[in-house]
Amino acid sequence: MSAHSTHAYTGEAPKVWPAKVNQIPKEVFGDAALFEEELKKIFYGDTWHAVGHAAEVPNIGDFKTFDLGRVPLLIARGKDNQVRVFFNSCTHRGNQLETSVSGNRKEFECPYHRWLFSLDGTLAACPGSKEFAPDFKQENFGLAEIKTEQFLGLIMVTMGNPPPLKEWIGESGLPTLTALLGGDGRLKLLGYQKVRYASNWKGYNDNDGYHAPLLHTGFRLLNWQGGKGFQRMTENGHVIFEAELKPATGNGFLKDPSLIAFKGSNPERGSVITQLFPMTVMTKHMDVINLRFAIARSHEVTEVHYAYFAHEDDSEELVQHRIRQSSNLLGPCGMVSMEDAAIFQRIHIGNQTPGFAEFQKGVTSLTEIPMDVKQNDETGNLPRWEHYRKVMGFKREGEQ
Amino acid sequence: MSQAITAAHTSAIDALHTAYVAALDQGDMAAWAATFAVADETSYFCISAENDRRGLPLALMYDDCRGRIDDRVSFVTKVWVGTYQPYRTRHFIQRLSCESAGNNQYRVTSGFMIMMTPEGGATTILTSGEYRDLIEIQGEGDNARAVFRERRTVYDADVLPRYIVFPF
Ligand code: FES
Ligand SMILES: [Fe+2]
Repeated sequence: MSAHSTHAYTGEAPKVWPAKVNQIPKEVFGDAALFEEELKKIFYGDTWHAVGHAAEVPNIGDFKTFDLGRVPLLIARGKDNQVRVFFNSCTHRGNQLETSVSGNRKEFECPYHRWLFSLDGTLAACPGSKEFAPDFKQENFGLAEIKTEQFLGLIMVTMGNPPPLKEWIGESGLPTLTALLGGDGRLKLLGYQKVRYASNWKGYNDNDGYHAPLLHTGFRLLNWQGGKGFQRMTENGHVIFEAELKPATGNGFLKDPSLIAFKGSNPERGSVITQLFPMTVMTKHMDVINLRFAIARSHEVTEVHYAYFAHEDDSEELVQHRIRQSSNLLGPCGMVSMEDAAIFQRIHIGNQTPGFAEFQKGVTSLTEIPMDVKQNDETGNLPRWEHYRKVMGFKREGEQ
Repeated sequence: MSQAITAAHTSAIDALHTAYVAALDQGDMAAWAATFAVADETSYFCISAENDRRGLPLALMYDDCRGRIDDRVSFVTKVWVGTYQPYRTRHFIQRLSCESAGNNQYRVTSGFMIMMTPEGGATTILTSGEYRDLIEIQGEGDNARAVFRERRTVYDADVLPRYIVFPF
């Protein structure tokens, strides 16, 4: 097969994946039927998904709602200070229990027939229960919980049977994620930026180590160079990225260079990213702590809740600095991230064409999935694509 | 607070709102910045209603000094050029209240709606929301001119329908 041969665009998932490891069939970005398969195999499959951080619900009775694919979730802190993740569905006839995005409640009441649930999910009251079915037992009708594990407050859920969370993240990723979560996960919520991108979730998730100095003119104008660092991948599709932070001078371009000052204490880990399969991106860049909770809405819509945090031990001054830096730097309107958002949408449009997305920077072999990748290579994404291919069950050309 | 607003001040405030809308609807960032006072303590915030309601300080745009406002102009006009998908806007504003804050300043709130048209696309609503302004009148009589000392834009969308290039 020549580099220019194509799979004709059929609107169906490719039956065969190209033999060359650096080619991704563009068909996978525009296929509504494939999205249904991805929901089953990935979003409801044997994978952990980040849905929040405990710091988003700091007080007893605090809750937030979120979705895993199309499954509505209710995350609540109980009287025992435990954060639980329920299906946001009344155990009677399935009515959506909580309609608010967030808030604080003493209990959750379903308005339909007034079943009442405690913060820990227990069914506390259900009017007319004397006439319920003969096998009805109130204690069996507490809110159903989705399987949950936490890492330093990061709340991960799954509908399948993945390995235990730490094992699934991998030993090699835990120190970076720990640093990202402030060392101990004692975070304080600063707020959100929420946005929908007209992009397939895999396009949203395919940003690379190659683009940064090229796409983002701001880095050059501000004389903002990346320090030494590494990119590390796991077989199950995670990418861990760390780089030293070199202070940016601003180069006289900014009237207010204080915005890009670094006031934290660990420049050797100044820029840190943990990207967990399938689509959770978390970053600590300068003094910004940003967890991006993403929802694959459809094959062409990806919703991202950028949640920003301070650390509980921060001085007032550092919190204030984090607020202004976080607001202006890395979100859907951020100084060095608006362009990424534009690319998510442009790459989605461009990918509705025949042929392959061609990875080049850092490719040393056409047959081996690269696991040794340099900081500014785009090959760090290939192990994730390989994991995706396997989970989805696509055979490589020539494979039996 | 009871001091009545003069006709000159009312028309200066009207003219400021018009200038703001005209600047953004023409994509003229320099004209946008010119609706703000030149004093260092001048600010523009654009924040979601959710963060605002919950007392969460994080914003979508957080320009807490005049330098930040100028830097936003530089980013839109010099840094981001050629990367984003262009879109045009139409802003509609309805004033809700206006109260004197003394020293020739007024606290003004307005409702707004922003229509957006991506190049080659249909027109949709970007978001609606509320402007909460501190407006200062500079100059006297016929020379009276209004500028923003602070504009706090609280947008309604819990989830914005696209990434954002221009201020609201
Ligand atoms: S569906 Fe909730 S009480 Fe009946
Ligand atoms: Fe980027």
